[in-house]
Amino acid sequence: MSATGTLDFQPKDYKSDLKPIWCPGCGDFSVVQGIYRALAAIGRPPHEIAFVSGIGCSSRIPGYTTAYGFNSVHGRALPIAQGIKLANPDLLVLAAGGDGDGFSIGGGHIAHLIRRNMDITYIVMDNQIYGLTKGQLSPTSQKGRTTCTSRYGSLEEPVNPLLYVLAYGAGFVAQASPTDLVGMAAVIEEAIRYPGFAFVNIQSPCVTYGEEAQQIKGLKAIQESLASLGHNPADRLAAMDLAQQYGEKMHLGVFYRNPEPPPTYGDLVKERQALLSKDALPRERILDLFIKK
Amino acid sequence: MRKDLVFGMAGSGGDGIVSAGDSLIQAAAAEGYHGVMTKSFGSQIRGGESSCRVRISIDPILNPGGNLDVAVALNWEDFLKFGAELPVSGTTVVIYEAATGIKETEIPLVGVTPLQVIAVPIAAMAKETAGTERAKNTVVLGLIAGWFGIGAVAVMKGIRKRLAKKGEELVEANQRAFDAGRAFAMAHPLKASMNIVSSDTKGNVKLITDGNDMCAAAAIFAGCQFFGGYPITPSTEIMQFFTDHVWKYGGAVLQAEDEIAGIGAAVGASFAGMKSMTATSGPGLSLKSEMMGLASIAELPLVIVDVQRGGPSTGLPTKSEQSDLFAAAFSAHGDVIRPVLAPTSVADTFRITIEAFNIAEYYQTPVIVLSDQEISQRKETLDPIDTTQFKIIERVRPTGADLQDYKRFKQTENHISPISHPGMLGGTYLASGIEHVESGAPTNSGTVHARMNDKRTKKFDPLKDRKDLFEVSGNPDAPIAMVAWGSVAGVCREALLMAQEQGINVKLLVPYLLYPVAEGVYNEFFASVQKGLIIEQTHLAQTHKLLRMHLDLPKGVKPMARSGANPFLPSEIVAALHNLLSELQRSHEGNLQPQE
Repeated sequence: MSATGTLDFQPKDYKSDLKPIWCPGCGDFSVVQGIYRALAAIGRPPHEIAFVSGIGCSSRIPGYTTAYGFNSVHGRALPIAQGIKLANPDLLVLAAGGDGDGFSIGGGHIAHLIRRNMDITYIVMDNQIYGLTKGQLSPTSQKGRTTCTSRYGSLEEPVNPLLYVLAYGAGFVAQASPTDLVGMAAVIEEAIRYPGFAFVNIQSPCVTYGEEAQQIKGLKAIQESLASLGHNPADRLAAMDLAQQYGEKMHLGVFYRNPEPPPTYGDLVKERQALLSKDALPRERILDLFIKK
Repeated sequence: MRKDLVFGMAGSGGDGIVSAGDSLIQAAAAEGYHGVMTKSFGSQIRGGESSCRVRISIDPILNPGGNLDVAVALNWEDFLKFGAELPVSGTTVVIYEAATGIKETEIPLVGVTPLQVIAVPIAAMAKETAGTERAKNTVVLGLIAGWFGIGAVAVMKGIRKRLAKKGEELVEANQRAFDAGRAFAMAHPLKASMNIVSSDTKGNVKLITDGNDMCAAAAIFAGCQFFGGYPITPSTEIMQFFTDHVWKYGGAVLQAEDEIAGIGAAVGASFAGMKSMTATSGPGLSLKSEMMGLASIAELPLVIVDVQRGGPSTGLPTKSEQSDLFAAAFSAHGDVIRPVLAPTSVADTFRITIEAFNIAEYYQTPVIVLSDQEISQRKETLDPIDTTQFKIIERVRPTGADLQDYKRFKQTENHISPISHPGMLGGTYLASGIEHVESGAPTNSGTVHARMNDKRTKKFDPLKDRKDLFEVSGNPDAPIAMVAWGSVAGVCREALLMAQEQGINVKLLVPYLLYPVAEGVYNEFFASVQKGLIIEQTHLAQTHKLLRMHLDLPKGVKPMARSGANPFLPSEIVAALHNLLSELQRSHEGNLQPQE
């Protein structure tokens, strides 16, 4: 299969026949559009793309994309994506899901994907709520927030997804919003092009269970482009400083891009395979390993 | 002269008991004998008790043996911790450390008078000849060579090879310790000679390996190129083998952050078109169950090896048991069939692992291989296996015509749909854990759900006709029967031979396929049966219950079930068969109709 065959693709070429079941006005409609645009800009044919998700409203997204999709089980998009990437490093591998899927039930996987630096792009549609189960507290819900599982207000601090991935050493970290579709598509494209693990947090409002301040209007009020701040994406410490404002300010753009990307896990695997392949006994003679002389 | 000897040795961790066992079985192989070695430990890494059994025979070996012919105790406290795992009888020669200060007439074995008891100043001899008590295990090997005629040359050859890197001085010290042990034995002959007859296959090529390495090698032979897993006793050696070898075949291994990620990566690799597997033990099987459900509904081939240990929970992590049967058969929720296979020895672990991959690929399903601690960690000598006899099956791929209007979950005559994978032009689809129509698109329809359940379960029907996944031995018309699987099967094979010699008309069924339950095979087997035993290492008689769920067992067929770490002896099974025979005779004398 061709690895990098760049052809002329349009965003609509990545749109599947399935009609999204998201609520009208859901932020995820914009996200899927952003993904179509980014994929068209990159130009990989759909059959060379694997798109994996877990469970949740946003995890429906591979079904709305023409690619090899995998709508798996709650919280486990990343392990499955890693198996796909290891089995076929030439594929473009995307993973996506919600904040609960990624930072709660599947929260244990992110750190390990980051330290392995596999060339996988992970898009989190962060809406600070469990939407598919009808409005419970999520790992990014603000402290004090009332929901149907926090009648008297949440007692927990939210996870900061940006700081979390930066702290573990992700090579590419960005944030986007449906308030700026062009910017979102550009950031996703850049994330996919980054040779290594890339993370994009997208503030995607839940129109049904989200609070007023989290809707498009509220988000617009706190958004600020990182470029306009003169932020240097090669500066990891500055990125972490800015990331601390998660929840108060919504910075859009690239927080961090490692200016000298280290080899990916896939590169290292290929190296090892090449080095050791000369030692392979033919498979039919593998039991010779057990001969005692 | 003996044709068969069973040695059992115990000491503290660090006494080198297991490496002595290793030396002994390797020497036995070099001298043309068959050998089986099992290890048993406390769950401590250092300190604590450690033991091994080595059975050596001029004939092929069916199991690690019953009562010991030779017991070696470096100290009694540790020896006694193994209880029924190291059974001493009236035919056992007991050798123990004289420094324990216990008189030969006062050894702490209750209710048994061994054939002969010999106190040997093992530690003192080690210290005197090698300058360190650490050579105690070499003294023991010298004693064994002297008294039983095994390994006089080959043992030292093995030790020499193993210690070569550590310097000539250490090798010489061990040679002196070995010679001292042998000289002691020569100077104190046994009351009755127990020398083993020499083998006439000396010099033939022999393999030595354990169940875990065999399983991993079989997987690579079958074309497996991906392993995802997490360390857990007693299965970890499978992952270790992959990390040593799979790269050479263009494959990869991922030691994942947890059990779920391990199987998750394996599911991903299979989705991407690669044969893949994971391995674990009880607690990991519990954690992996959701992913097994996913692989079932997404119809992805996958092999899951569960090396059983005592459960539930942490249970007995270093001891063998068969109590994961229910968990394997009924792993994960929903209406689903996941085939479960079980090897019975190191040797047939090769074939059964290949079968697991073939079934996984053909039926597009997760398959569980239920191994157990005993098989996985025991070493066996093996004659070379002709690998050309094994057929390797690949999943059915879509043809050009299929890809014109590709439907991943298309209904077909045999309920198996051609499966594409990323990279295949025209084959894009959505794999999912959610119910789906033929194209893969999600659905909530009850009609579709029922139809898809039908597809996913009916596709396994032909598997139940696989008689080659069952072994029947003994007289086919016998009224008395045994059923046993896994490591217990080997004990029953020997019990069968013993019982037949004693005139009992009996037969044995060993299923390699445990689930789905092949009703037809069992019904045919039980047709002649009036009395029988389902012999298993589970407390709840899980095998007996699983069979009763699926078929009407003859009333006289009962479980002979016990918890793990309490091995069965061939002799006690024969005794139980004698009881069945008497019951049968009584029922005939009482002029009762034989039970159906």
